[in-house]
Formats: sequence, structure tokens, C-alpha cells
Amino acid sequence: MAEHHAHAAAHDDHDHKPHGWRRWVYATNHKDIGTMYLIFAGTMFFIGGGMAMIIRAELFRPGLQFVDPQFFNSMTTMHALVMIFGAVMPAWTGLANWMIPMQVGAPDMALPRLNNFSFWILPFAFTLLLSSLFVPGGAPAGGWTMYPPLVLQTGASFPMLIFAVHMMGASSILGAINVVVTIMNMRAPGMTLLRMPLFVWSWLITAYLLIAVMPVLAGAVTMLLTDHFFGTTFFTAAGGGDPVMFQHIFWFFGHPEVYILILPAFGIISEIIPTFSRKPLFGYEAMVYAVASIAFLSFIVWAHHMFTVGMPLAAQLFFMLSTMLIAIPTGVKVFNWTATMWKGSLSFEPPMLFALAFLFLFTIGGFSGLMLAMVPADYQYQDTYFVVAHFHYVLVPGAVFAIMAGVYYWLPKWTGRMYDQTLATWHFWLSTIFVNVLFFPQHFLGLAGMPRRIPDYAVQFTDWNMVSSIGGFGFGLSQLLFPYIIVQCVRSGKPVGNRAWEGAHGLEWELPSPPPYHSWTTPPSAAVIARGAAH
Amino acid sequence: MQPLPHTIDAAQRRRRVRRSALLFGLIAAGFYVGFIVMMLVRATR
Repeated sequence: MAEHHAHAAAHDDHDHKPHGWRRWVYATNHKDIGTMYLIFAGTMFFIGGGMAMIIRAELFRPGLQFVDPQFFNSMTTMHALVMIFGAVMPAWTGLANWMIPMQVGAPDMALPRLNNFSFWILPFAFTLLLSSLFVPGGAPAGGWTMYPPLVLQTGASFPMLIFAVHMMGASSILGAINVVVTIMNMRAPGMTLLRMPLFVWSWLITAYLLIAVMPVLAGAVTMLLTDHFFGTTFFTAAGGGDPVMFQHIFWFFGHPEVYILILPAFGIISEIIPTFSRKPLFGYEAMVYAVASIAFLSFIVWAHHMFTVGMPLAAQLFFMLSTMLIAIPTGVKVFNWTATMWKGSLSFEPPMLFALAFLFLFTIGGFSGLMLAMVPADYQYQDTYFVVAHFHYVLVPGAVFAIMAGVYYWLPKWTGRMYDQTLATWHFWLSTIFVNVLFFPQHFLGLAGMPRRIPDYAVQFTDWNMVSSIGGFGFGLSQLLFPYIIVQCVRSGKPVGNRAWEGAHGLEWELPSPPPYHSWTTPPSAAVIARGAAH
Repeated sequence: MQPLPHTIDAAQRRRRVRRSALLFGLIAAGFYVGFIVMMLVRATR
């Protein structure tokens, strides 16, 4: 017996893990699955980015240059689907997989085999979706919102789109269940809810949103499928159906989806700013309640996406005012981040630079969102490039910058090595300059009346489109630095200690860098938890 | 280091994990079916 224990202890002392392809295909370790999610998300980011380059090349000047209108519409549709479901969401799940067990003092996710399954659905879903580019009729081109009746005219790629969306939804729901169950059941003793890091809190709330709304999207696309193939008329006016109802259902999913994409970003920024300000987060509890309030409000604002379909004045007023209410908890967050920095001992390493850019640029996206929330103004902005500028400010220097900030923040922990900070600072400045050159002119184009989702435009829009396209190419090229920096770090970065950033707090920094294959096999002590929860 | 609560009540924890995963799975399935049923009910009115 004693011999058995000694053997088991020796067994735990080294990183016992499967090798070769089995390590990845049969992976149940949260770090391996997190790595696979992040690599997948990065791959999709470059595929979706390639589609964006095609869009910006076509729009560089008026007239048709490179692609026909049908293919252009496919590019806008696929770019959105790939970036939302293939890049940003899997990147968040990858970060959740890596960090949540380490941050709550758990050995792994609660459901490791489910974790493996929810990841491996994704490559199949996106192979299916991307292969629709090669079927007769081309890839889906009716927009990522899949509005009927237009989407029902899609050719052979229609069932591929629907099946792929179902698979993405299933993957997200299973991943979200795993996150909730892990946080609720696997926290170390003493890790109370109000001691959890903000990243864990924001992911917990995000996971609840996912469980609530992804099935709604799945229901909507199932009904599209039966309308297309089985003679139902849920959304077909000719058979008594209601296409506007699809928009209501879609946006009941779609608006919380926006927060699914951004809430984990709030968590990451709330980790990074205190670290590089060398101060505890200002108003920890207020931050938690603000995230929860934003999540709640996200369920009662959906119709602001469809003011122009026509609705009663009272409904317009309700959705306008409820949308504006979101500015209050969001303002609390922006105020608290700023107050955290106030009189702090600031330093500007790459994660902090990305976090600061997030703070400024996401706020710009928030302000244009307030403009769009006003019903009479929205009638003017609807379906123009102003909307494109708005949501790209929220999603690129918002969600994508926060993901990059998170990777730059935790990469030394994951690899045990420090990356080239000079190169990462170059990555930051190039990204920040070009993202503004890319998206800020789109506000002007939208206000001047340029419609979105068109391959050609009136000559008066030429100059700002050229500027925007130059920004797009610059932004796209500068992203090549990101994988280079990561690979260089993994191969030849300088070794770092447990606490790669001197101001960092949290349980993950108590583990060695890189952390052992099985992280908290012994739960952290109360003192370690108290030291970690420095807020 | 503290004793290992991870392993002490491992069976109970496993039960709780399974139960809560099942509960959330059922909630998700309920939303999926619920919205389709809601549309069907609306169509028959």
C-alpha cells in the first residue's frame, strides 16, 4: 500500500501526459484544450481576415475590380460568421480553459471529456462552412443574420450553413455548461464567489448568456431548415408566416451574443489594469454587478437592431430607453478602470498598452452605439457604413484587442518564457494606428449615406474608402507579427519566474511558469487565496 | 498545505457536477424546443 502511494506521488511529480497526436485528439487536460482553442481561433482570425482583405480590395475604388457581387456578398457573410463563431468565441473559450481552473484553484475543468468534445466539434463545423465556398451557387451570401426570405434563396450551401451553425451552437453550449459547472463546483475551499477574479466572474455570466441564447439561434435556424426543405412556413409570408418574427428571434439571440463577445474582455481588462497600475481594482463589487446588469439588460434591447421594420411607438421608446440604460453599468466600468489607474504607478508593457487602447476605442464604439440607439437617428444610420464602423470599433479594438492583451498578459505564464516586448509594442502601435485608419473613416462614409454590403459605390465615397482600405491592409499585415512573436517566445524567450509581472495578483501567479500539467492537484491554502485575491 | 478536499468528497462533487451539467443541458434544450413550440402555437392561432 505504502509502495503504491509512493509510486502515485512520484507519478504526480512529473508531467505525465500522452505524447504525439493522441495528446491532442484525446485531450482532456484544460491547458491542452485551451491551446487547441487558441490555435483554432488564430487560424480562423487569419482566414476571416483574408476575407476582409478581399472586401477592402474590392472597395478600394468604385466599380467592380476583383470579384463579382455574389462572391462579394459571400465574403461579407462568411467573414462575419468566421470571425464571430470561429475566431472571437473560440478565443474566449480557449482563454477560459487555460485560466479558469488555475484562477479558482481547481485541478481541471469539471467535465474534461465534454471539453474535448466541444472543441472537436468546431473544426468539423468550420470545414463544413468553408467548404460551402466550393459548392454550386457558392457560399451563403445573405448576411450572417440569415434573414428570410433572402436566405431561403441560398443554393446548395444552405443546409451546410444551417448544420454548421447548429454545430457551432452545440459546441458553445457544451463549453458554457462546462464553465458554469466548473466555477460552481470546483472552486478551492475559501475561494468565495466575491473573491473570484473578474475574468472568472465575467466568464460565469457569459456562460449563462450562452446557455440561454444559443438554443434560441438553433431553434431559429431549425425553423429556417424546415421552411426550406419540409414545406413549413414559419417565416414565409406566402404561407402565413412572418419574416419579421425571424428578426425578433434572431436578435433575441444576437444582442446577448454581442455581450458574449465583449464581457470576457471586461474581465481581462479588469485583470490587466490593476497589475500595471500596481493598485487593487477600484470598486470590485461594483464591477461584478455592472457585468451582471449589462447581461440582464442585453435580453431586453434586441429590437434596437430592427427599428426600421416598423413597430409601435411605445415599443420603439422602450427599446431605445432600455438600450441607453446599458450606458450606466458600462460607464461604471470605464470609470472604475480609470479610477484604478488614478495615482497608480503605471507602466506600459504590451498588455497594458492593448488594455488602454481597449478603454479608449471601445468607448468610441459605445458612443456610436448610443447614437444608433436613438430611434429617429437610427432611421438615418440604418444599413449604412456608420453601423459597420460602430460594431467594428466594439469588436476589433474591443474584443480582439482584449484577446491580444490577454495573450500577452498570460503568455509568460503559459510558456514560462517572456516574449520580445519591443516587437509586441510594435505590434500594438501598428495595430492601433491602422485600426483607426481602417474604421474611423467608415463613420464619415455612413453619415454621408454609403450603404453597407455593396461591392460598388458612388464616386463621392472614393477617398474615404481608399483610406479605409489602406488601413485594412496595414492592420492585416501587422497581425502577422502576432504569431511570429508567440512562436519566437515559445522557442527562445527568456525564462520567467512564477510572477511574470511584478504587480500581478491571482492564483495563477502562485503556480510555476509554465504551470505543471495538472495544476492545483492540492488546493491552494487560505493564505495563498487571500494573497491572490488582492482586490 | 491543507488536506485534499478535492478528493475527500470526490463522489459527492461528481454527483453535483453531473446534476448541474444535466440541469443546464435541460435548460438549453428547453429554450430550443420552447421557441419552436412558441412559433407553432402562434401559427395555429
